[in-house]
Amino acid sequence: MLFDSEKPSLGREYAPGEVILREGETGDCLYVILEGQVEVVVDDGGEESYRLAVLEKDGFFGEMSLFSDLPRVATVRALGPVRVMTVDKRGLLRWLGDDPSLSMRIMLKMVERIRLLVSEVVRLRRALREQKSLP
Amino acid sequence: MELTSGARVGVVGGGPAGSLSAYFLLDLARQTGIELTVELFEPRDFSLTGPPGCNMCGGVISESLMQKMAAEGIVLPKALMLDAIDSYVLHTDSGSAAIRPLHEEMRIVSIFRGAGPQGAESQRPLPWSSFDQHLLEMAKGLGARHVPRRVRRLEREPDGRLRIHLLPLKGENPDQDTLFGVYDLLIGCVGLNGSGVRLFEELDFGYRPPKSDRAWVAELYMGAEEVRRRLGNAMHIFLLDVPGMKFAALTPKGHYATFILLGEGVNEAVAREVCHSPAVRELFPEGWETPVRPCHCQPRINIGPPVQPFADRVVLVGDCASSRLYKDGIGAAYRMAKACALTAVTRGVSGADFRAGYWPACQEMDQDNRLGHLLFSMDGLLRHLPPFRRAMLTVIREEQSASADPRRLSSALWDTFTGSAAYRDIFRRAAHPVIVWRLFLALLRALWSGSR
Repeated sequence: MLFDSEKPSLGREYAPGEVILREGETGDCLYVILEGQVEVVVDDGGEESYRLAVLEKDGFFGEMSLFSDLPRVATVRALGPVRVMTVDKRGLLRWLGDDPSLSMRIMLKMVERIRLLVSEVVRLRRALREQKSLP
Repeated sequence: MELTSGARVGVVGGGPAGSLSAYFLLDLARQTGIELTVELFEPRDFSLTGPPGCNMCGGVISESLMQKMAAEGIVLPKALMLDAIDSYVLHTDSGSAAIRPLHEEMRIVSIFRGAGPQGAESQRPLPWSSFDQHLLEMAKGLGARHVPRRVRRLEREPDGRLRIHLLPLKGENPDQDTLFGVYDLLIGCVGLNGSGVRLFEELDFGYRPPKSDRAWVAELYMGAEEVRRRLGNAMHIFLLDVPGMKFAALTPKGHYATFILLGEGVNEAVAREVCHSPAVRELFPEGWETPVRPCHCQPRINIGPPVQPFADRVVLVGDCASSRLYKDGIGAAYRMAKACALTAVTRGVSGADFRAGYWPACQEMDQDNRLGHLLFSMDGLLRHLPPFRRAMLTVIREEQSASADPRRLSSALWDTFTGSAAYRDIFRRAAHPVIVWRLFLALLRALWSGSR
């Protein structure tokens, strides 16, 4: 770490463009970004996947699969070199039971994401309406 | 008896339990709209190398704590992390076996509590930072005020609040009134190594510190290249047939290898015997001699439950109250600091509030430690039987070579060494019929080969 840049350090490193988790797969962990940026994309049927968000250091993703057994709804891939650490579902669920403030932190993050999604829906509907009104 | 805006909280002791108690208290108070004044009393200067800047511990951050902090949004800066650890190597008098987790990532790191071992000052500017200083800065970042002074006396006011008196500084009149302030809540995070516990015993609310024993910790300078070559990214655990020893470990830490020895009444003689055993010497550079007096300490470690670690407006957190037996002391401080802060902010600060909110977390840990004592006693008995040691290594090697296997024994040992699971979980897994059966078969093979 401090003594050799090639020596492995905390978490796991992903190369630019490498997929960290894939839409449709099932998951059993939360991912925390230690270094770098990731992009969250979905396949909307177009030629290129649609970018939902870019997340940075200290952000986390993959939390939805902790609370349901449904498949991942998006793909997350590295934008540049990225280092992430996983948090196991089993341990996290136990800590959430002991610690309501940790539940609150995750809930707040999910609320933030719902707000972003709502504003995105509004933006898309507005764009659609304007497109329809065109001659 | 609740904390309301304007309340003043004193935290005595600025190790992990103290800084995290202040941090969580301020964080939860902010979330609930309460404005607190938090003053943290810690005379130690963590920027100093050697004993003056060190809170004495092996300096390993467990897998579960790293994950918990990451989920909480607390990501440690790189400068704190001396080395990352991805595996454990178990050494016995009968051979060695590596234990690797199924996941492919590093989740355990080694740190220095202070600025590093005595003698490291020659390397200034130091390429690493102090873990305890970082936690203190986190608390200060949320508004805690650091008072770098030593507490002399605690007293209770007629209205139940608590007074803190400080020791006079050099040159000050020793007879002058040293009252520093009156507090609505006092959190004692004084560890077991100083005179701090006496301050709280003298408050006479019935507190008695937990039973303790001593560990032996030494920082052995080997140079980063030798550390990497000899220890790799693994923590090396020794279960040797040395009287008095329960557990010894060598942890890579940059230029140093940290030697940790646990057991009843361990001392320099036991440490020397362990260091001279072939299993340990094999990991030292050729011709290398253990330094005669390396930077070392014999910290007291908590091995039993405390008595009455709370009362109205006062609570003890960390090693001076409930901690985990033989492992993950920093993780235990984190958990108990959170339980203390949650109780104080969401319930209140009376003795009844701490009994309802904080005491169950202490009791759960103390009960789990009883199972830990049982596990270590069983290990102590079985370790002196060479065929059993060989059987255990055989089962571990078989599990490690079969990637699809549930790796029951390996995972139980992994969690024992890393502190990732409660002793009750480890106990349940270690007593699984499949493990017992495989150990029995391996033991028969070891006895058969021994008799031939």
